[in-house]
Amino acid sequence: MKRRDFLIGAAATGAFTAAPHIWRKDTSLARASNGEIKVGVLFSLTGTTGIIEESLNKATLLAIEEINDAGGINGMKIVPVVEDPASDPATFAVKARKLVVGDKCVSVFGSYTSASRKAVLPVFEKRDNLYWYPTLYEGRECSKNVIYTGAVPNQQQDEFIPWLVEKFGKKFYLIGSNYIYPKEENNYCKKLLEELGAEVVNEEYVPLGHSEFSSVINKIQSTQPNVIFSTVVGDSVVALHRQYRAAGLDPDKMPMASLTTSENEVAAMGGDAAAGHFTSAPYFMVHQSPENERFVEAYKSRWGGDKVTHFVSEPSYFQIYLFKQAVEQLAASDIDPTTIREAVKGQELIAPQGKVHLEAENLHTWLWPKIAMAKSDGQFEVLRDSKEWLKPEPYAAYPNQHCTADGLVQS
Amino acid sequence: MSNAFTTFLNNRTAVQITVYAIVCGAIFLFPLVLDNDFLLNRYARYLVLGMAAMALSLSWGYAGILNLGQALSFGIGSYCMAMALKLRTVPVHTGEGGLPDFMVWNNVETLPWFWQPFHSMPFALLAGIVVPVFLAVILGWFMFRGRVTGVYVAIITLATLVVGNLLIIDQQRFTGGFNGITDLAQLELFGIEFDAYSKSTYYLVAVCMTVCLFLALAVTKSKAGMILQAVRDHEDRVRFFGYDVAWYKVLAFSVSAGIAGVAGMLYTVVMEFASPTFLGVPLSLSIVIWCAVGGRQSLLGALLGAILVAGMEGTLSESETFLDTWTLIMGAAFVLVVLFLPNGLAGLFEMLRRRLAAQPAEKPTEGATDAAVLADKGAAERS
Amino acid sequence: MEFFLQQIMTGLSIGSILLLIALGLAIIYGSMGVINMAHGEFVMLGAYGAWAMNAFFGVGLLPSLIVVFLGVGALGWLVERGVIRFLYRRTLDTILATWGLGVMLQQMIRLSAGGELRYVEMPSVLTGTVGILGVDVPGYRVFIFVFVAALFAVTWYLMFRTTFGTKLRAVVQDRSVASCFGIDADKVYSLTFAYGAGLAGLAGALVAPLKSVSPEMGTTYVVDAFFVVVLGGVQSLFGTVASALMLGELTGGLAYLWNDTIAKALVLLAIIVLIRFRPQGLFVSRIRS
Repeated sequence: MKRRDFLIGAAATGAFTAAPHIWRKDTSLARASNGEIKVGVLFSLTGTTGIIEESLNKATLLAIEEINDAGGINGMKIVPVVEDPASDPATFAVKARKLVVGDKCVSVFGSYTSASRKAVLPVFEKRDNLYWYPTLYEGRECSKNVIYTGAVPNQQQDEFIPWLVEKFGKKFYLIGSNYIYPKEENNYCKKLLEELGAEVVNEEYVPLGHSEFSSVINKIQSTQPNVIFSTVVGDSVVALHRQYRAAGLDPDKMPMASLTTSENEVAAMGGDAAAGHFTSAPYFMVHQSPENERFVEAYKSRWGGDKVTHFVSEPSYFQIYLFKQAVEQLAASDIDPTTIREAVKGQELIAPQGKVHLEAENLHTWLWPKIAMAKSDGQFEVLRDSKEWLKPEPYAAYPNQHCTADGLVQS
Repeated sequence: MSNAFTTFLNNRTAVQITVYAIVCGAIFLFPLVLDNDFLLNRYARYLVLGMAAMALSLSWGYAGILNLGQALSFGIGSYCMAMALKLRTVPVHTGEGGLPDFMVWNNVETLPWFWQPFHSMPFALLAGIVVPVFLAVILGWFMFRGRVTGVYVAIITLATLVVGNLLIIDQQRFTGGFNGITDLAQLELFGIEFDAYSKSTYYLVAVCMTVCLFLALAVTKSKAGMILQAVRDHEDRVRFFGYDVAWYKVLAFSVSAGIAGVAGMLYTVVMEFASPTFLGVPLSLSIVIWCAVGGRQSLLGALLGAILVAGMEGTLSESETFLDTWTLIMGAAFVLVVLFLPNGLAGLFEMLRRRLAAQPAEKPTEGATDAAVLADKGAAERS
Repeated sequence: MEFFLQQIMTGLSIGSILLLIALGLAIIYGSMGVINMAHGEFVMLGAYGAWAMNAFFGVGLLPSLIVVFLGVGALGWLVERGVIRFLYRRTLDTILATWGLGVMLQQMIRLSAGGELRYVEMPSVLTGTVGILGVDVPGYRVFIFVFVAALFAVTWYLMFRTTFGTKLRAVVQDRSVASCFGIDADKVYSLTFAYGAGLAGLAGALVAPLKSVSPEMGTTYVVDAFFVVVLGGVQSLFGTVASALMLGELTGGLAYLWNDTIAKALVLLAIIVLIRFRPQGLFVSRIRS
């Protein structure tokens, strides 16, 4: 302890003489103090993704309140600093900066879109802080400053794609929104399809926010695929489903298979338009487990009986408990982002979806993939529950790259 | 009131220069009273947005070109800077001298040719100005040769902006797509490192802003500036005098684009990344709004309008009480400004100056005639 | 041949939605010179109207169209009386004022109806597909096409075959002379604005079953509508029809050949070039400005 302080002091004095502003950065290393653990909560409450992110904000706050009501962490309260980045990547970066440098939070929980994660990433890497990201994403990231509790492509697709091929056939139509997440998911999907000897009849990307799918549906009708693999996000997904239905296409013969359609999206497009289509994810609201019953019950009684939980709000909830378990290991004087990162490695807990494990190597999470079909009442029916949890492999599409505790390794 | 002071007030240019200098001075002195890097960064950001609005005032307020695509120049500047800074970071994936990370994610093998020259910082700085200017000259020439005016200019510039935005998002392999270009190195010029959250960056922005402001002021005070104002008010009359109206408009349009490009470059330095939202329709409309609130016919007004509105937005959206209602307040305030202050806040100031100088209030049309008369005189001189 | 027909149908259905949204704007802009940026928000209000009628009163889409038309129309009337009428002398400023109004309307909806995405159920009689010349076309899209055609006919009749239309055209040509002949120009303008707003509301309600309903939905529509109106020629109703259908066919065709991103970019470039060479619009009306 003493030695460490001395080293920091020495480094600081050394730097001070060389370049004053570098020295300033080091002193702002975040640290818990005064029996309070300050954490940032960074989900948009307004703007285009405001609605979905608000549910993540709610799940996060619910878990924090639960922990504080039960006596906090080793007697210390978690103090959430809530910021609204308004669905704008630039604002995300600014607010992240404020939480890390201004408020000196020891961790920040936040964000939904890939764009916002990429925008805040440098802030956390430069100041060696910790960002907890609950959303499923495209993988291919190996940062020691992010704890990923959502699924990566292999965890959603490894069981899903073979299942679809077996059940419906080998012709796939890939449609996605025009940004990195769909493209990367499709890269992995194409790899799996090739191994299965299946065929991609078309791969297409529509602009974000696109709402006119007549041409796409035209092409679907003329190529007659067995499965439409959709990574369309946001309000486009609602338009796609509703226009699919208006065009008289039949989910029994040509279903849409999605990695992003959750209870939230189903509520937005209406159960009738969603019914019969498939989603693969680690969590669905109907999942049967005592932990999930407790979670859904608590969520509804805190935020309203009509609210739904979904596969991004569930990790938002359980990652706070992972945080708690990690901080519990630490002495009150030694709570800072780096010690939390070391402590969280290998932590396990029983989340609503099942028992999860934080992989020490790449800071991603072992999860339980499930395949479900949407029903007209707005809920899913889980058709297949994975027998074992799946290891997170953020570089699954690139077999010669591996994310390890020392960073990315090429082989 | 002393006589000298009244005379001073009656000299519009003198008042203007004095006020501009006072404001710039205040901006320079500001860090002395505020020792908070976080807030400094925020104000630097507002200053940059103010520059973009000021640039618009030059083309909209002085030349009557309602450019709804101002964010295009801004965004191009921002991307030029981001490309140069991106090549200066050491990528996590590929190590020193490797490809930028997003290209690796998009399976690009070699650095594309148009990225190559951005290894040179002077080239990047030049490109951030020249590319927007070049595009503005082409687009301006295309529009104004065809005597496109008013709302049609607005539509064409808006459409161009949307095309630019689509391209940037679509060419993900080379531009980072929707995610933009993140994780940039710090700008280093003349041995000074510009950390976004430090006084050095604030002063960099303040210097650029002051230079651009006075440059724009010089343009408006030049003969070309007078002719432009005449064009704004009576385009046909000026044309009949034998002026080539189109080229004057192209001039205003491209100077405005150049300043916006500089602002865009600074924005990347301040925000530490570039994003397609920097050339988005919402930002572009916001610039118009700031300009109108501050007073489109005043460079300083537009600048302060942007700082004021963006600052208010920032403050209101962060306060507990106004979290839900701040957009309502901004919307309402905006409608009221349009209804009651047609010349924005600068109009209010001008009114005050006239009252103090005990001048009769001038109707806007008379001001217009002034300029037309001047153009008339110019034509007479030439013949 | 069948493929060709399919393409034509797709283009027509895209075009009819564009026309539906642009029609109200064409009337307001064409006759009053007001650039109504809140048009998208009127569309959004119409969609929310249809949603609310269904969610709270159990009324289907078709009957609620009347309520939506009258409701949004009334709001339009208020907006004209409260704000727009002070700005007739400086029409470019209407862009700014209506933008402010639009922001306020969005936030009001967000606060009252919530920001969630909503949907409107399609009337069950229209859910099937219809065979036209051997091509299957979604019934609802056919319905929109027919409805728009009818709406256009009504509007044309109103403008060119009724006393109100005559008065409006008189005011447009010369407000002061028209006033001398005893025409209440204020009243004519506010009714016109209300009618245009009502049409926007109808458009919102009608597209809602095919798209998502959210407070932000209007922003994209208003930009598209502007392109249609300006391209068609400011004071020409037929021009608006022609440009909507042309843009629809162009978008549909290009999106089929490549993809929607390229289609959008190329269509915009086409608009830029067309406006440059025909700033008066594709079809110039004979009304003098």
